[in-house]
Amino acid sequence: MQGIFVKSPILKIALGILGALASIILLLFVLRTEDMRMADQTVNWSARKIENGAILFANNCAKCHGPDGKGQLGVAPALNSHYFFTKTGRLADVGFVGSLEDYVRLTVAAGRPSKANSQWAQRMPTWGSQFGGPLRDDQVVDVTKYVLNWREDALAQTPDEDPFQPFQDVKKPVGEQSLAVLMGAEPPPPVEKTATEPGAVRPPADLVTIMGCVGCHKLDQPQEEANRGPIAPNLGNLADHAGTRVDGLSAEEYVYQSITDPGAFVVEGYNNGIMPQDFATKMSEEEIRGLVDWLLNGKR
Amino acid sequence: MGVQQEIREKGLLGAVAGIGDDVFTRVTAGISVGEFRRMLQGEAPGRPNPRLKPHSEAFLLHIKPTYYHESATRFNHTFRLGLLSTYLFLIETITGLLLMIWYAPAPERAYADMIGLLTNVPFGQFLRDLHRLGAEAMVAIVTLHMVRVYLTGSYKPPRQFTWFTGVVLLVVTLFLSFSGYLLPWDQLSLWAVTIGTSMAEAVPPAIVGETVNLLARGAPDIGANGLLRFYLLHVIFLPLVLILFFFVHYYKVVHFGISLPADEEEIGEDTASRIPAAKRVYYLPDVAIDELSFLTVFTMITILLTVFFFQAPLEHIANPQSTPLHTVAPWYFYWLQGMLKIADKFIAGVAVPGILLVLLVAIPYLDKNPSRRGRDRRVAIVSGIIAGMVMLILGWMGTPKYAVQGAPSIEIVQELMPEEGSGLVREIGYAHLPLGVYSTDDHTKYDDPQFAELMHEYTAAVLHFDEQENDFNGARGQLTITQDQPGLKKINWKISWYDAQSQKEVFQKAFWLHRDSFYWEQYGLKHKYLDYLSNLISPKE
Repeated sequence: MQGIFVKSPILKIALGILGALASIILLLFVLRTEDMRMADQTVNWSARKIENGAILFANNCAKCHGPDGKGQLGVAPALNSHYFFTKTGRLADVGFVGSLEDYVRLTVAAGRPSKANSQWAQRMPTWGSQFGGPLRDDQVVDVTKYVLNWREDALAQTPDEDPFQPFQDVKKPVGEQSLAVLMGAEPPPPVEKTATEPGAVRPPADLVTIMGCVGCHKLDQPQEEANRGPIAPNLGNLADHAGTRVDGLSAEEYVYQSITDPGAFVVEGYNNGIMPQDFATKMSEEEIRGLVDWLLNGKR
Repeated sequence: MGVQQEIREKGLLGAVAGIGDDVFTRVTAGISVGEFRRMLQGEAPGRPNPRLKPHSEAFLLHIKPTYYHESATRFNHTFRLGLLSTYLFLIETITGLLLMIWYAPAPERAYADMIGLLTNVPFGQFLRDLHRLGAEAMVAIVTLHMVRVYLTGSYKPPRQFTWFTGVVLLVVTLFLSFSGYLLPWDQLSLWAVTIGTSMAEAVPPAIVGETVNLLARGAPDIGANGLLRFYLLHVIFLPLVLILFFFVHYYKVVHFGISLPADEEEIGEDTASRIPAAKRVYYLPDVAIDELSFLTVFTMITILLTVFFFQAPLEHIANPQSTPLHTVAPWYFYWLQGMLKIADKFIAGVAVPGILLVLLVAIPYLDKNPSRRGRDRRVAIVSGIIAGMVMLILGWMGTPKYAVQGAPSIEIVQELMPEEGSGLVREIGYAHLPLGVYSTDDHTKYDDPQFAELMHEYTAAVLHFDEQENDFNGARGQLTITQDQPGLKKINWKISWYDAQSQKEVFQKAFWLHRDSFYWEQYGLKHKYLDYLSNLISPKE
């Protein structure tokens, strides 16, 4: 047992010197490769941010902006869109001088507090925790990185493929079309016009999406004390209590009034002014009647 | 004497040599150049011994004994474990101080600081890996040191108090390592420390347990206050306690001398502090050369392991809202976690560790046997070995392998693509995950051998649980890989099965994998180093 241990002081000194030299060489090696390592780690951690953002987007954003980020008519705008990613596109139209990353991050964090000039059924909620939302700052950054990761796909879109819808808040000189049209796309059919086209009665099941109802009202969930819709009442069991909300109004009359004049009666606990006031002009009388019947029909 | 006069008397070279010798003697606190040369050449000191002077002149040497008993300096008597523990504490202090430069103990910053350290600080990852490896090695070596002292019976009179301070040092080392666990603020830290502090809650009566828990966490749950408290424990309080007990411990070691191998003295005798002249080995130069060369080689091995083989884990950022599957304690607390699985929190978390600690301290007083020789201490050694084996078995039970089986579907996905860490899917990586829909039912040949292995493992896991569980029949696994974004694939797991009542059940879970991400189990960078090295030795292009 004793024999295997080094006893000679000279050998010990030699081993010590060798050890010190080897340590120095190792550290020099690390020094030599540090730039490579840091670059790799930078790429790695920004990739992981995108992975985290993907989960956040799927859980929180995909419901309105679509799982592929291409938006939903009347509910939320497309993000995976050529218009959204070009400097002369969305940023120029809203007059935002910062970077697209800042724009997305700000919008995710603060939401869209105003509904002025908005065609969307629901305003963009506030997500950042510093404004009272559910996401921490790092999560807001993650989801922003994920949205920006569409850049390559979005910039490859031809004007025809661009899923964006004309924003109502874009102020264009009279006679000029939106940017995508200038770039050569067919002018997208204006939303309002299709609504008033004679003879084209849209089915109620389409209307709840087109008009953006499902952005706030959940159709498959009942409105109960323990299960209240966060922004607007759930409509799963609408038929059960529509007739009892307002004295003197039948279920049909109540629902019709709620669509055409949302401010006439607001269910306790919800705010007036969130639901658009102009559905009467966006849908024909026939469509509204059909929608009322459909909403009250338990088998929809 | 003026310089000019000196040059006139000795000549220029002689004068410079004289000044050099003078400086050398002052720096070494009493060893002249000639004496140093004689030391290296192995010559005996003159009389009076000039090599004793540094022990009285220099602070760092005055705490070292001037000479040791020859038998106590043998490597296989102590294995230098005490020295190593101290040295590791020094490494931890230096790397820890450097790491503090890039770290702030606040939940909003801590995790981002970790990433900053990895991505933006030269030697940042090296420092972090070395600090982590050093911490784990320190726990291991302090424990081994205690085992050695137990097996050689060195805790016996007069060293009972030395043993007590040693037990305190072991506990402080464990707490030091554990308090550092929280600081990266990732899922691993948050949940390990949540489990750890929740054991304090079981201390009776309830008001005491809750108060201790509240004091440690700073709030009912670990948050900003808890992080700050653990940080202060880690960087100030515990190191100070450790330093204090270290000096008491070391003073006692020097005072009584390192106990000699039992066979060299009569039973019940302790001659370690009375060393006959013929048995003396002087610290300068013999022991000093031995210790310095040993530590240098040890440093080299540690650096080698850190650079090429060890990577400190960093999981997702701490999320109090989501408990990851299979939360584990650090390995040195596996035995506690194992006990928590078979006994309640009070017994496993408070009573048994408390009794164990009291027993450990009381060993010198319980063991009345005066002999330190192995053949006289069969009971002590056998019971020590049994205790060690029990700890190992409990430790095995503490790993997720024992008794924490979740639902089969969750376990299957966890095995191949866990929430934290790597798993087979991330190991084979983005490039080996072809887009498409795959099922465990069809036995097509896959072109990519790595993807074929993945599907093989997936099928095997589904079959395994199908055979094992009554509630999991006719199971079928699906794997859908889609291109979600440029450079980002979505990996969707869908497992369907029939439960005991023949009801169809479906489990779905989606993960995303980016082209550029790699996970710490992949040792991605470490492999890169090796590629770089092999390219240096034999360039490919």
